[in-house]
Amino acid sequence: MSDTRVTPAGPDMPEESYAYSEKRTRELTKGQVRRARILGVVMLVLAAAVVLLLIPGTTGVATFDLSLSDEQVQLAPLAIPSTGALYILAMVLAFLGATQFFRGFQGKATIILGISFGVFVIAVMIWATAGEQFNLTSMLVSTVARSTPIALGALSGILCERAGVVNIGIEGMLLGGAFTGVVFGSLIGGWVGLLAATIVGGILALLLAVLAINFRVDQIIIGVVINLLILSLTSFLTAQLLVEKPEWNDAPIFPAIKIPILGDIPILGPVLFDQTIMVYAMYVLIGLTTWFLFRTRWGLRTRAVGENPRAADSLGVSVYKTRYLAVIYGGMVGGFAGAWFTLGTVGRFDEGMTGGRGFIGLAAMIFGAWNPIGAFAAALIFGFSDSLQQKLAIIETPIPGEFLAMAPYLVTIIVVAGLVGRVRPPAADGQPYEKQ
Amino acid sequence: MKTRMKIAAAVIAVASLGLAACSSDSGTTAEETTAAETAAETTAEAPAETTEEAAAAIKACQVTDVGGVDDKGFNQKAFKGVQDAADQLGVEAAVLESQAETDYIPNIQSFVDQGCGIIVTVGFLLGDATKEAANANPDLPFTIVDFAYAEGDITNNNVLGQIFNTDEAAFLAGYLAAGMSKTGKVGTFGGINIPPVTIFMDGFYYGVQKYNADNGTKVKVLGWNPKDQKGLFTENFESLDDGRTFAQNLVDEGADIVMPVAGPVGLGSAALASELGTDKLMIIGVDADQFESDTANQNVYLTSVLKNMDVTTFNAIQAVVDGTFEGGVTIGDLKNGGVGLAPYHAFDGAVPQKLKDQIEAIKAGITDGSVSVKG
Repeated sequence: MSDTRVTPAGPDMPEESYAYSEKRTRELTKGQVRRARILGVVMLVLAAAVVLLLIPGTTGVATFDLSLSDEQVQLAPLAIPSTGALYILAMVLAFLGATQFFRGFQGKATIILGISFGVFVIAVMIWATAGEQFNLTSMLVSTVARSTPIALGALSGILCERAGVVNIGIEGMLLGGAFTGVVFGSLIGGWVGLLAATIVGGILALLLAVLAINFRVDQIIIGVVINLLILSLTSFLTAQLLVEKPEWNDAPIFPAIKIPILGDIPILGPVLFDQTIMVYAMYVLIGLTTWFLFRTRWGLRTRAVGENPRAADSLGVSVYKTRYLAVIYGGMVGGFAGAWFTLGTVGRFDEGMTGGRGFIGLAAMIFGAWNPIGAFAAALIFGFSDSLQQKLAIIETPIPGEFLAMAPYLVTIIVVAGLVGRVRPPAADGQPYEKQ
Repeated sequence: MKTRMKIAAAVIAVASLGLAACSSDSGTTAEETTAAETAAETTAEAPAETTEEAAAAIKACQVTDVGGVDDKGFNQKAFKGVQDAADQLGVEAAVLESQAETDYIPNIQSFVDQGCGIIVTVGFLLGDATKEAANANPDLPFTIVDFAYAEGDITNNNVLGQIFNTDEAAFLAGYLAAGMSKTGKVGTFGGINIPPVTIFMDGFYYGVQKYNADNGTKVKVLGWNPKDQKGLFTENFESLDDGRTFAQNLVDEGADIVMPVAGPVGLGSAALASELGTDKLMIIGVDADQFESDTANQNVYLTSVLKNMDVTTFNAIQAVVDGTFEGGVTIGDLKNGGVGLAPYHAFDGAVPQKLKDQIEAIKAGITDGSVSVKG
């Protein structure tokens, strides 16, 4: 990923001398060693947690159904003897932790840490499900569905911030898109609703762009204002319009569309290829945006104005125009994501129905290091923990649901705090640019 | 050029700062306009013969919980009581919607300042805010849905708490669900783990157990365990897509009847049921008869567990109009019609006569005390 970044070259960068750079290298190495040790300890703690907290008193078989009832090919449920599986997982964690502690995985350490957390989550799932049964495929289907608005919200943020404009108005864009989507969807049709939602997202982003780029207003304040404005406005319009005219609040829902052949693959089929058009659009947008940002001239310019607008300007890149384009594109993605709440799920609007998902999208953006694919992965983690929490509540686990609900944010704090390597925002993020 | 830009930027910055500063209560201000207009409309719609009274009309003001006054259930039902009072007693109706828990106190205060004759607060979560306002304004009558204060909490006894034995009606719904389930599993989920929500789930659970005991079946309840008071909760009353996902998860685990106790969130479950078809999923509505209020998906509701806070709210307002208002607690139950089971509507033909008779017998049993709904 680092090869795709523009190297920051701020004015405060000291001149490189031989002595300095050697010293820095040594310091970095020390820092790296310490970090490797910390990561190793974290993995060993996870292993110890499995042995000490999960294994005692756990007996029985954890059963995971792998097929939904309407699938043609029905797989046999996966039955895992809990105690044995937990010992094996603990050993895997201990081995990874010890190797990391004494030898270090160097560049792969972050991935290994991710795998360790994954192994730990599987251990928790087996422990919680011992003697019980739930449908794993159903959980994964809902994981993807739940992560869709988060991933799209994060993508909206990435587009703006890569160009150097902080967008904390994502929540407002989602809510605006959801409202517009349902009204136009009810009156004209689902596709028009989707289009209208996208346009409204773009208009809100235009407001952000004008204030942030031309008038250099504090971008945090604009974002807050957009969120509050849209929350109040949609509530007002709901009370004034939708209550009086319920037929304006009854939009068609995009049905799940099964992709032939791919959709029949066990587990993966229903999870990835039997979803609504919004989910497929998310795959496409994640892919397209990644390609745009990192493989096209437009993307390079966008990243350049987000890292060092003055340098980009001196090379003839129009900072304002580039930022406008990126912010409006980002807003349109946000409005589109908003339509998911109404046209993609329930076909009606209620006040505040986005429930803070825009802010979770912001967290996913940071967790994913301002990279669309990273943000998608982060959104999947949020969606996963959300869905797992529901399943565990249904089978009545001993873990408090509140703790599970908290877990992804805990992980975000750990990530942002720098445990998994430093996550760096674009250098000029949030800084207005004044043309000289 | 540059100076002009700077001035413009400064102006906008100041303006947006101002906006941001007052945005903490901007929800309230926007809503107030709505309320004022709603009130104006309601007064205008009030029947002509009450206009003399309306001149001296007291103002009945409602503060909703989050979820909004058009939630097809809880808040809407309570507001119906206020509207009925406006139609029949000639009082003036006003409503403020709470967007967040931080709106409770400013909304109530705003009504106090407007000189309301009675303030209706809707929801358990408004308990503390209502108590505070009632003690600060000891001569102003309040009534709160879903909250009963301990003796001495309210210094001047100017609050009428409305509580409901919802478990009695939910018990019937559970019994019905157990009898109608083809998969042998029924589900429920709640908004937040608070007594007015879980009392539905308790009753539902024990109703299913009662059916099992009477008929030798083993219908299972997913999503709630009354023994340790743990279960499935969305942790909000707003995200309709939660209603859809939670119901989908319950369906995937085998449930074919789901009772969402989460205000408008349940509308998302109804949308799912409408899509899957009622042979896969039927919904039990709560608070209002959702067959009538959720017209978009009305045919998925097997029945609804009614909580008639419109009646209790109306009675409280009438007491104020008549000058007989007294604080304390009023309890709605099956016997006095404060709670009940809605008609089967679209499923009337599908519910076997034997089951209908059993439910009638149980209803009589609960009313005369021979059947316990506490398991």
